[in-house]
Amino acid sequence: MPRRQKANRISRRVFIQRLTFFGGGVVLIGAACKRDPKNDSTAPGKPDASAEHLTFSPEEYALVAAACDRVVPRDEDPGALDADVPVYIDRMLQTVEMRKVRLEFLAGAAALDRRSKRMFGKGFAEATPPQQDDLLGIFKDSPHGTGEAHWFELLMVLTMEGLLGDPSYGGNKDRVGWALVGFGTSEPPPNYSGSKHLHAHGGH
Amino acid sequence: MALQLGRAGFKVVVLEKGAHYKKDDFIHDEILNSRRNFFMPLPWDEPHLVRRGEKEKYQRTNTAWTANCVGGGTVHMSGYFYRLKPVDFRLRSQLGAIPGANIADWPIHYEDLAPYYDLAEEELGVSGAMVPHPFAEPRKKPYPLPPLKEHPIANEVDAACRALGYHPLPTARGIISEAYRGRAGCAYCALCGSYGCEVDAKSGTNSSLIPAAIATGNVEIRARCMARMIEVDTTGKAKSVVYLDADGVAQEQPAKVIVVSCTAVESARLLLNSSSSRFPRGLANNNGLVGRNLVFSSFGESRATFRLKKRGQSWPWLSDPAPFVQRSLQDFYLMPDNRHGFRKGGTLGFMFTHPNPIFASIRIAGAGKSGIFGKALKDRLREYRDSKILQFEIYGEFLPTAGTYVSVENGVKDKYGIPVAAITIDRHPIDLKMTRFLVERGEEVLTAMKPDSLERVGDAGETTILQHGTCRFGNDPASSVLDKNCRAHEVPNLYVVDGSFMPTSGGVPTTLTIAANSFRVAHALVDKMKRG
Repeated sequence: MPRRQKANRISRRVFIQRLTFFGGGVVLIGAACKRDPKNDSTAPGKPDASAEHLTFSPEEYALVAAACDRVVPRDEDPGALDADVPVYIDRMLQTVEMRKVRLEFLAGAAALDRRSKRMFGKGFAEATPPQQDDLLGIFKDSPHGTGEAHWFELLMVLTMEGLLGDPSYGGNKDRVGWALVGFGTSEPPPNYSGSKHLHAHGGH
Repeated sequence: MALQLGRAGFKVVVLEKGAHYKKDDFIHDEILNSRRNFFMPLPWDEPHLVRRGEKEKYQRTNTAWTANCVGGGTVHMSGYFYRLKPVDFRLRSQLGAIPGANIADWPIHYEDLAPYYDLAEEELGVSGAMVPHPFAEPRKKPYPLPPLKEHPIANEVDAACRALGYHPLPTARGIISEAYRGRAGCAYCALCGSYGCEVDAKSGTNSSLIPAAIATGNVEIRARCMARMIEVDTTGKAKSVVYLDADGVAQEQPAKVIVVSCTAVESARLLLNSSSSRFPRGLANNNGLVGRNLVFSSFGESRATFRLKKRGQSWPWLSDPAPFVQRSLQDFYLMPDNRHGFRKGGTLGFMFTHPNPIFASIRIAGAGKSGIFGKALKDRLREYRDSKILQFEIYGEFLPTAGTYVSVENGVKDKYGIPVAAITIDRHPIDLKMTRFLVERGEEVLTAMKPDSLERVGDAGETTILQHGTCRFGNDPASSVLDKNCRAHEVPNLYVVDGSFMPTSGGVPTTLTIAANSFRVAHALVDKMKRG
């Protein structure tokens, strides 16, 4: 049902972009979620015991890490890698709400790698930082509604969530993201897990 | 409503589609609260279709959903608890006819609602200060609680307003400033709007009215129960609510009286989905007015950024973490003449921008060709760290138009298999003139404070969580859905007590008004039932 898929894709885009009345920003990202994982025909195979990551292959992980590093690079302040943003993205894309986002994100990452090979004769992770910036810029500036622009938005949103979200999701290591933007409001209790809490209590 | 019926000895069952959260469930986690489906359903599970005008295609969104949980939107509200003013009840007679706007007087006056404002403020817990003010609505009693602590910038807002000849007033809040009826006072955590309150200081119905209702022993709350339709008997009276329980099993709850309160959009949807041979176009909708005359609240916003380092000398208090500014302007609530293209305006509320860092940073990054990343983004994030951002929001009249309404779209169903609400918006041009005028006045105030930068966020928007009008009340059954006591003209034991009854939006956030009105309706209903 390609038409239906397109409608869902539009609703994800609407979400990601929408600025809401609540300063808090009720801007979900996520995907169609039927809460029965058995029906999840798109789920990746169970990661084998030797695999380091939950969602990404080592090559994909290297690409995502390189991209995050260009979005929020380390300088006199810590950057995305210091906050473990790739760890966050790798884990978050396993949640049931993000099932469709996972597919879109992986497809976009593969497209970025292909473009890199075409333009520079090497994969994105091996490209130089200026080449990586060129590639990310091309994706960012692609026309509204294209897969490239959509992927860059996903990358930005997931990077910011990983940089500035609750540390229980795997990112914002040592609260370096909060220190960067000066967010000093109190945080959740010590043994809190955001993902567990959502699935135990929320989910409409 | 449930509280007053329970107190009077009637047995009440409350069906709520979402969870019944307790205060320990409310965690300071932006991803949980603001970015996943803890409060709001996912738009592909339960969309609201939205389009601007009938020519546009619908988009699936989460627009106009409030929190799906016991307490609804009052759980994650900011709690700006203003009252309406007498003029809001008399817009048609005060302004005369406005071409293209279906405005109507209310069938009650401010004085009819005033005692219930007092009662609602007392039961919910409202903090504020009565100050003499040329635009103040009459009130007999002081607020039940003293005002919340303010950030020192409030004094600067006052000075800027006064220098311009305006009359700033403190904003009353549905947040308790000190211990009240077994609840703890505000902890000033700053994560208020978009979050549930973990100390019960926010006066959501989940913290105030609902526990009191349960304590009567007559009220049962059934969470995770999605109402599907209201059945009628052969005489046309409402008979029962058919709902899906927490396990997805269809159940039927019979009742003597059925009270609908799902927000103006969702209540209209429930009635429109409750069709029968007697009501082929939906319950209480034989005159075709259910879902019509939808009104939101006109929205505009601008932000002034003050850099902390630059201001360190002159405003050493600027970095004070106190979260509340608590200032409003109502000088443009009703204009004396039409020289600016509108008469009925609204309120400006001043506040700090919400501290949610993910939301703020994604906004800073932007998108498309103007979007930034890398060093440019990081520099902007550091600027943000060095900033205090003061903003105002507009709560303006939203004129009802023939092109703004809720319908149901039979071809699009939610995860329960129920046709979804579809919202069509066609703004009246006067609203846009009015909002821009109010935004310009707010910017005068911000500019007078000499900010390091000023940004207009919007001057033609609407706040869709403030929703009204889809079952407007009135004395004439031909032009309204409900009577003055919010009982359906066509169905003698059916009531609607969310914002649906309001034929006009008023120029303030309407949370307190909706609560006060439900106390008023409860009073009339209890009287009627006691009389038999």
